[in-house]
Amino acid sequence: MKAVYLDHAATTPIRNEVREAMEPYLSESFGNPSSLHRWGREASAALENARATVAETLSVSPQEIYFTRGGTESDNLAVLGCCRFMKAHKKQLTLVVSAIEHSAVLDPAKLVREWQGVELVTLPVSQDGVLDQELLKLALESGPTVVSLLWVNNETGLVFPIAEISGLVNELGGTMHTDAVQAVGKIPVHVKETSIHLLTASGHKIYGPKGTGILFVRSGVDLVPLIHGGGQEQALRPGTEDVAGAVGFACSLQLAIEEQQQSCKKLTELRSVLERRLLELIPGLSINLQDAERASHISSIAIDDVDREDLLAALDLEGIAASGGSACESGSTQTSHVITALYGEEHSAATVRFSLGIETTEQDIEQTILKFTSIVTRLRKLGVAS
Amino acid sequence: MAMSGGVDSSVAAALLVEQGHDVVGVTMKTFCYSETPDHSKTCCGLDGISDAKRVTAALGIPHYVFDVEEAFDRDVIDDFVTQYAEGRTPNPCVRCNGYTKFRDLLSRGRSLGCDLIASGHYVQIEHTHSQSRILRGQDKQKDQSYFLWALPDEMLKSLLFPIGSLTKEQVREHAHTQGLVNANKPESQEICFVPTGNYRDLLRERLGKVHPALQPGYLVRRSGEIVGEHNGYAGFTIGQRKGLGGGSSEPMFVLSINPDTKEVIVGTRAELFDDIVIISGLNWLGGPIEDGATALVQLRYRAPAVPALVSREEDQVILKLQEAQPAVTPGQSAVLFDQENRCLIGGGTIASAHSSD
Repeated sequence: MKAVYLDHAATTPIRNEVREAMEPYLSESFGNPSSLHRWGREASAALENARATVAETLSVSPQEIYFTRGGTESDNLAVLGCCRFMKAHKKQLTLVVSAIEHSAVLDPAKLVREWQGVELVTLPVSQDGVLDQELLKLALESGPTVVSLLWVNNETGLVFPIAEISGLVNELGGTMHTDAVQAVGKIPVHVKETSIHLLTASGHKIYGPKGTGILFVRSGVDLVPLIHGGGQEQALRPGTEDVAGAVGFACSLQLAIEEQQQSCKKLTELRSVLERRLLELIPGLSINLQDAERASHISSIAIDDVDREDLLAALDLEGIAASGGSACESGSTQTSHVITALYGEEHSAATVRFSLGIETTEQDIEQTILKFTSIVTRLRKLGVAS
Repeated sequence: MAMSGGVDSSVAAALLVEQGHDVVGVTMKTFCYSETPDHSKTCCGLDGISDAKRVTAALGIPHYVFDVEEAFDRDVIDDFVTQYAEGRTPNPCVRCNGYTKFRDLLSRGRSLGCDLIASGHYVQIEHTHSQSRILRGQDKQKDQSYFLWALPDEMLKSLLFPIGSLTKEQVREHAHTQGLVNANKPESQEICFVPTGNYRDLLRERLGKVHPALQPGYLVRRSGEIVGEHNGYAGFTIGQRKGLGGGSSEPMFVLSINPDTKEVIVGTRAELFDDIVIISGLNWLGGPIEDGATALVQLRYRAPAVPALVSREEDQVILKLQEAQPAVTPGQSAVLFDQENRCLIGGGTIASAHSSD
């Protein structure tokens, strides 16, 4: 029996093109980009080429791309760095997030909330996935405001209308950050055509290396760095650069964006088979945010009368990898804050997230449907028996 | 296979794999480790979970962590605190095995399609056609049958104890031969949810500083004579000698605790001996023994089993010990073994004890 990996929203394997692009910089071209000698120049050129590739792919300028060590770091740098800079110049500051942000934004936001003169506004999201933009407008009109919203929600695939929202934020003088970790390569991400000021992307969600990411910082937007100790990345992210990582990231981003339309089409088809069949076969099952605009790779399934941990472990024993929600929150079994924010505290159905990837096949989906159905049936029978 | 991340359960898992079983490792996350900054202690902490993950990965078996915090908090920690508040000395491991761990394991195991539940306790289990019996572990120093009397009888048929026939030394040896990452891990001694070893902090946190159990009271003799003061009866256990101050001609021991008056009753070693023990919440394994029969009873974990006449009175059981024993402690377990001192036949919680003289 072939194992089926349906947890691509947690992480993905490094694809061959990316590995090959990285390899020279792991060994023979190992230089430090800051060194003046040949080794250094070689590394520096690779780093700047990678930056140029990323910039070109996102239609922005290379000076606006900062390599970081991943999505969480980029989110922290955006939220904390931006708020810290604003607070140094303004007495009052409002930070706006949604109730379904990733903890890489929510946790820094909680820190910022403790500062004097800062108000944190958390925008509710309706059961249909609609963000409360009226509240956002009110916040923006109240004075200096930083807004941080996911482009694609990591647990449900919900797409926020970031282009439209960034226009509103910009118009009313706010600063807009978006975590696009689950968006790049999944939906069109035209940074140039939006008014986004700050954007986070991560390598390992798009078949690139773990521990790599970028923060796009639009020219004219100022941030205070989180760490100090050198001039690298324009002193915004000091520390010797991970050249191989940057090269790998650039390659993975380029491929992801090039192939976006094609993979979106394929994943949409596969996901609709998965969802349609499960809805037909299993009573007491629904798809979270089914009718909202969703990125094509994520399916968040709500299922009654089954324990989520039992279900996930039983799926794993059958060779199927899924997750309970965000991989970043596993280890704790509390219902995810995203599901609670959408459906309320009383929502008791177990949530399972399947996330598809470019190597997912029709057979994978068929096998998943088969196994999932039989496991749910078995667990429900046991539940009734006890 | 219940995995704590310790060497015992790791070797147990390795043995099951060697024997050709299809093994699934499971760790029960029993309380919130993030609130205890000191997780250098060995078992069940986050390092326990990561060791269990490393060991299971090396053995090539799946491993899952299940969160039982809520039930553990309610059934074990709350009970622990209540017992101390009422002047008793609880056995949280007995409570956990009987109320939380094995029940959860069994139901999780069924969900995962497992036929048997295994744990790394030093006890043996004998399955015959008609019955399953828990026997003392081969290693007399490590035998843990004392902690298992509260298991539901009908559960025994589903249990396996792979290291029960080994000594601790053999287990360590096996861990080394297998190259298990935790082969040299120190033994865990403390109560898992009191990693600092100071349970009074937990009581203060749960009961509040003003609870009578943590308030000053008197040290009194049985005669009623006040011989000193203490700062909270929850800090005492029967037989304790420490913390009673000096001043008397012979060593003094805690004889009993009276939560109503906040008094800790102290006396000489001779006064510490009781031969009548009242047990509540008795659980028989393999059916009750005849009223008036003799069994061997173990009154604390490290104590030898001693002969006693067992008689029933309503929902309590009365033990008449052949020889009076020191420091029989309410809240601890009285665990019954057959006359060969080999087979676990039941147990209960010591409600009270007195001397028939």
